[in-house]
Amino acid sequence: MGDKVKKRAVLSVLFVIAVFLIGGFWFNLWGKVSPVRQLPLIDADSELLKTDTWRKSYADLVREKGDIDVFDCYTCHDKDKKQELKYDKDNQLVVPEEHSDVVMGHGTHGRNNNCYNCHNDENLTQLQPRDGRPLKFDQSTQLCGSCHGPTLRDWESGSHGRTSGHWDHKIEDNKPNFVKKDCVNCHDPHKPKFPKRKPAPPPNHLRENPQPSVQSDTEN
Amino acid sequence: MDSRSTTNSAEPLALSRRSFLRSSALFGAGAVALAASLKPLLSLKDGPSMEQFLQKYYKELTPEEMQKVLERISREVEKEYGKRPHLRDLKPMDGVDFAYFLNLSRCVGCRKCVHACVKENNQSRSPEIQYIRVLKMPHGTFDVEKSEHNYNPDLVPEKGYFYMPVQCQQCKNPPCVKVCPVHATWQEPDGITVIDYDWCIGCRYCMAACPYGARHFNFTKPGIPADRLNTEMSYLGNRPRKKGVTEKCHFCVQRTRDGLYPACVEVCPAGARKFGNVLDHESEVYKILTTKRVFIQLKEELGTNPRFFYYFDV
Repeated sequence: MGDKVKKRAVLSVLFVIAVFLIGGFWFNLWGKVSPVRQLPLIDADSELLKTDTWRKSYADLVREKGDIDVFDCYTCHDKDKKQELKYDKDNQLVVPEEHSDVVMGHGTHGRNNNCYNCHNDENLTQLQPRDGRPLKFDQSTQLCGSCHGPTLRDWESGSHGRTSGHWDHKIEDNKPNFVKKDCVNCHDPHKPKFPKRKPAPPPNHLRENPQPSVQSDTEN
Repeated sequence: MDSRSTTNSAEPLALSRRSFLRSSALFGAGAVALAASLKPLLSLKDGPSMEQFLQKYYKELTPEEMQKVLERISREVEKEYGKRPHLRDLKPMDGVDFAYFLNLSRCVGCRKCVHACVKENNQSRSPEIQYIRVLKMPHGTFDVEKSEHNYNPDLVPEKGYFYMPVQCQQCKNPPCVKVCPVHATWQEPDGITVIDYDWCIGCRYCMAACPYGARHFNFTKPGIPADRLNTEMSYLGNRPRKKGVTEKCHFCVQRTRDGLYPACVEVCPAGARKFGNVLDHESEVYKILTTKRVFIQLKEELGTNPRFFYYFDV
């Protein structure tokens, strides 16, 4: 008799468990996945995603038919009159108001403070390298190389500077698509040191950064 | 024999009506419970299609079969994102061994490469998967334990630090390939270690084996907004991954095997990244290798022999 009661008890327990499991699975009580936190997207037009260089060279502006008025010196200057440079009492160059966009910062200790180190004082639309050959504005890389020889050598071999297009630029078909950016595409010739910039946002790790500083509803 | 057959024939009589009902009730309840537990499978959406399930190993596919596979994936991508991709299976070129050089004197730590890579390679935006991790390192050490990757100052570079972006080093002796139990990842003749996302079983052994943390796992279905999808795709490269597979940098095979620079090289504002064919003596990477002086293969002592070099210049 005891055996029968025991058996019945076991069966009833099993039955209750079965019913519980049916209900649980059917209504998906413990299978709910917690929603994934939506991370913000980087703006599609953001500067971060653009492959443009920091600056535009004269050659770029000509190619894009951009605004090159600033390179036409003789709209303001007089062709026959030589422009004299002015210095303050500390022997620092006084940049005239018309050229206030020019920040003199080429070389250390303010030693490179003569416009005519690079510009031709007899023809302002030309550049003046150390060897005396006249250069146009779109040949500025040769001007830079007249002082920065090793850097020009590295630039020519491709190890300094930005390249763009095809990695195998020996092949004739690839040549038109291969671009070697000029010095002035990245460096401001008047202040060549690379400017500091805002970095892109840091990574959002699964565990390390649980609370990012941005709200979650910026998904578009 | 005789006695056993007698007991067998007598057994049905031992089954009373009550015990029959009881056991059928229990059996029925068990069957319903099983059906209920399998019910979520009916609503499973990201499971493989029969075609994908029966697909052969990548290296055994004939060109015609590959064409069918590409067609299937294009169809799936179009259904999912509403855009028809230009999907190809680009093969390695002859006489090409890729090398990557990163100039640590030039890198400013702006992380533009990270986001250009995400855009090019259809990485998951949410949750986030990024192939490149930029480490901020104090001057005078190469100990990655001292690095910081969550840096977010107003302006970079910061004084006293240099920046070291780390991504897949495309090792010549890749530990990740050795541990893969199903050969879903392998090294191609041009040096790129690739993954077949349709063959990966998601065991993550490769992630444990990689000393550079270069491999990433899709814990969920990748969250890529349809308008951000890059439709220029390659089978072993940037086609959208599924849940439960690993992925990593593949030197943008969809670009580099088409002759283009990788996306990170194209975007670097400092010109710190150099890429090319090291067997070509006219290439910039060959010139760097032969004329520049200081090279670092990250964690060189592990013998992985990376194709990714760090160097300094003046």
